[in-house]
Amino acid sequence: MNDIKDLSSYKNVWIFAEQREGKIAPVVIELLGEGRKLATEVDAELCAVLLGKDVDGLAKELITFGADKVYVADDALLEKYTTDAYTKVIKDAIDEIKPEIMLFGATHIGRDLAPRIASRVGTGLTADCTKLEIDPEDKKIKQTRPAFGGNIMATIICPNHRPQMSTVRPGVMDKAEQDETRTGEVIALDYKITQDDIRTTVLETVKTKKDLVSLTDANVIVSGGLGLGGPEGFEMLKKLADKLGGVVGSSRAAVDAGWIDHSHQVGQTGTTVKPNLYIACGISGAIQHLAGMQSSDFIIAINKNPAAPILEIADYGVVGDLHEIVPMLIDKLDSVDDLLEAIKA
Amino acid sequence: MLYNKEQELLRKAVRDFVSKELDTLPAEMDKTGVMPKELIKKLAETKFISSNIPEEYGGGGAGYVSYAIIMEEIARRCASTATFVTAGSSLATLPILYNGTEEQKQKYLKGLATGELIGAFGLTEPGAGSDAGGQQTTAELVGDHYILNGRKTFITNGPFCDIAIVIAVTDRSKGLRGTSAFIVESKWDGFSTGAHEDKMGIRGTETSDLIFENVKVPKENLIGKEGNGFKIAMGTLEVGRIGVAALALGIAQGALDEAVKYTKQRVQFGKPIAKFQNTQFTIADMETKVCAARGLVYDAAQKRDAGMRVAQESAMAKYYAAEVANEVAYKALQLHGGYGFIKDYEIERMYRDARIVSIYEGTSEVQKMVISSNVLK
Ligand SMILES: Cc1cc2nc3c(=O)[nH]c(=O)nc-3n(C[C@H](O)[C@H](O)[C@H](O)COP(=O)(O)OP(=O)(O)OC[C@H]3O[C@@H](n4cnc5c(N)ncnc54)[C@H](O)[C@@H]3O)c2cc1C
Ligand SMILES: Cc1cc2nc3c(=O)[nH]c(=O)nc-3n(C[C@H](O)[C@H](O)[C@H](O)COP(=O)(O)OP(=O)(O)OC[C@H]3O[C@@H](n4cnc5c(N)ncnc54)[C@H](O)[C@@H]3O)c2cc1C
Repeated sequence: MNDIKDLSSYKNVWIFAEQREGKIAPVVIELLGEGRKLATEVDAELCAVLLGKDVDGLAKELITFGADKVYVADDALLEKYTTDAYTKVIKDAIDEIKPEIMLFGATHIGRDLAPRIASRVGTGLTADCTKLEIDPEDKKIKQTRPAFGGNIMATIICPNHRPQMSTVRPGVMDKAEQDETRTGEVIALDYKITQDDIRTTVLETVKTKKDLVSLTDANVIVSGGLGLGGPEGFEMLKKLADKLGGVVGSSRAAVDAGWIDHSHQVGQTGTTVKPNLYIACGISGAIQHLAGMQSSDFIIAINKNPAAPILEIADYGVVGDLHEIVPMLIDKLDSVDDLLEAIKA
Repeated sequence: MLYNKEQELLRKAVRDFVSKELDTLPAEMDKTGVMPKELIKKLAETKFISSNIPEEYGGGGAGYVSYAIIMEEIARRCASTATFVTAGSSLATLPILYNGTEEQKQKYLKGLATGELIGAFGLTEPGAGSDAGGQQTTAELVGDHYILNGRKTFITNGPFCDIAIVIAVTDRSKGLRGTSAFIVESKWDGFSTGAHEDKMGIRGTETSDLIFENVKVPKENLIGKEGNGFKIAMGTLEVGRIGVAALALGIAQGALDEAVKYTKQRVQFGKPIAKFQNTQFTIADMETKVCAARGLVYDAAQKRDAGMRVAQESAMAKYYAAEVANEVAYKALQLHGGYGFIKDYEIERMYRDARIVSIYEGTSEVQKMVISSNVLK
């Protein structure tokens, strides 16, 4: 652990501006929105830290979303994310410039990077926060996150170390508004990094169709039952699932009918699931099915029978023909791409 | 009880049938899950599947004591075959026999009696088991047809039935009085079945869901009056339970037979295990309980043949015989030691088969509800 520092020398709110292949991650816009609120309350500047190669354009974009300053490290060695390189550059910047608060998106990269930095600089980190607020008394940040599988909400503070660091769950905070007329400063970071600092080599980045995602890990499950009318129905559900970054589930009746493999079956004798979103299409809601999915955070049911038991437990129910409703849903989703990005992150 | 000449002859005839036709088949059906068509044909020829159907419709025209004898003797060797027989000869038959029109009897009872039609009885649903009142399947009258929608589960003979008696809701606002019974032919559009369930026991019977998707049922296939569905089903079960009780009794007797045979052969500590007092006392318990169960079963059957109502008697017989079947099968397997745990020995299959009898056609708990509500009324 580091020595007790002079906390007063730490100033400003930083956000990590994650980018992949020259595109800013959607969660960064949310961090800028949230970061702006915090910065206003502690009366400080909102700054973004951007690492990558040829990222000038992105720095300007961050300013339009509210960053007062953008610290940039532009280097071929930073083109692809590596834990070693990103940690070193940001750690040095923190030591040098001393931010008071630093936020990361709780994406795969953010969750990898933030703990490394926290441990290097010897400060506290709260993972996967869903709420951040400034204590009016002492201006410290109160970080709230679900713990024990979402069963309790813990509010955590970091009183004696700086910066106060959090990763923030994507899709929870309000997005920053874009304003093309905003101005800000782009500052090149003074950093030293060589190939020798980086112990990992990225050989290849592969984008998978998420076929292999298991039902238990999925955040979104689009499930079909006998109401699909045939195996083709699952192709339509697959489209919807792909859009939402989810996987396809099914009732036992659809498995028995030979339309889909048993590994997709949700229920007492299939897999028990608890995704954020469960969409049940043409499933009546027999207790043997409900037992496997009723604790999903959010349930949407599409069924043509208004008396179907599934509608009793659904948060939203649509009474109608799924062959009309699902395509409409897919269509509508085309116009809200950034929402989808947030769900998938 | 004492049996008359005719009943004794019947028992002998069933025993002959069993020793001839059900020698190696029970073990085979347990493995393959398929009951051979040939066996079904023979059960029809002997009228063992139609003992309750009057002769004028091609049935055996016998009473419930005879029915119980047939069930007991078949189940003693093969609970799968016995279950197949009850589904046809009581569950699918009685609703038509007691409540059907002459046309319905001509059209369907005759086929059931001769084995040309395989019957099933569809009451249970995924959400409505013991609480059979919680029916979701609906039948809506449109012109001169009812449109049936819904799903039944655990239906014996489901996968290959020709007709099914189906209970469905015709008027939801009336609760139990809003259900009706229908005869539904499996060849009609919109009728399908689920997968053959992979069961612990009675693996020689086929059990599956029945699925109705806008099945058009002609008005003439309504049994009795609209709103009588639940009453018809309960009336059927009240009497049908005599059959399952006799079936349970048969399983118990069969398991006891195996225990007696085995304990006389197996030698440990220098003598057959039948010589140990524990074995003797266990066999004495088993024999006593089997005889007590037999008393209850034939009492219910006799009273029914005398035209009496037997709701309580049949529930007591079913409850007691089912529990005894489980207990006796357990003890018989215990007396076999490790060998009883191996599929080469009959008792292994019997033990698994016994497990269903305290569950289907009303669980033991449901029987106790029936009994106590009679006693406490
Ligand atoms: C031993 C055992 C274990 C079981 N375990 C499980 C399990 O793990 N998981 C499981 O799911 N089930 C299980 N079941 C089965 C369960 O009891 C139900 O039979 C099953 O869930 C029903 O599946 P379903 O809802 O797809 O079909 P159905 O009950 O037939 O329902 C189809 C639904 O689709 C609707 N529909 C039809 N057409 C359309 C349309 N065009 N648009 C919109 N809606 C439409 C209908 O209104 C109906 O509600 C088990 C059963 C048994 C016997
Ligand atoms: C092999 C097989 C064949 C079958 N064949 C047919 C058939 O041909 N036709 C047909 O319609 N059905 C058939 N059934 C269904 C059978 O009748 C039901 O399984 C049975 O009635 C029990 O219903 P359930 O399985 O839904 O259990 P549940 O009703 O869910 O009961 C679960 C447990 O709770 C207990 N319980 C429920 N309510 C109470 C209460 N109020 N008080 C105390 N205890 C209670 C029960 O006794 C049981 O122990 C068959 C089932 C099987 C397994």
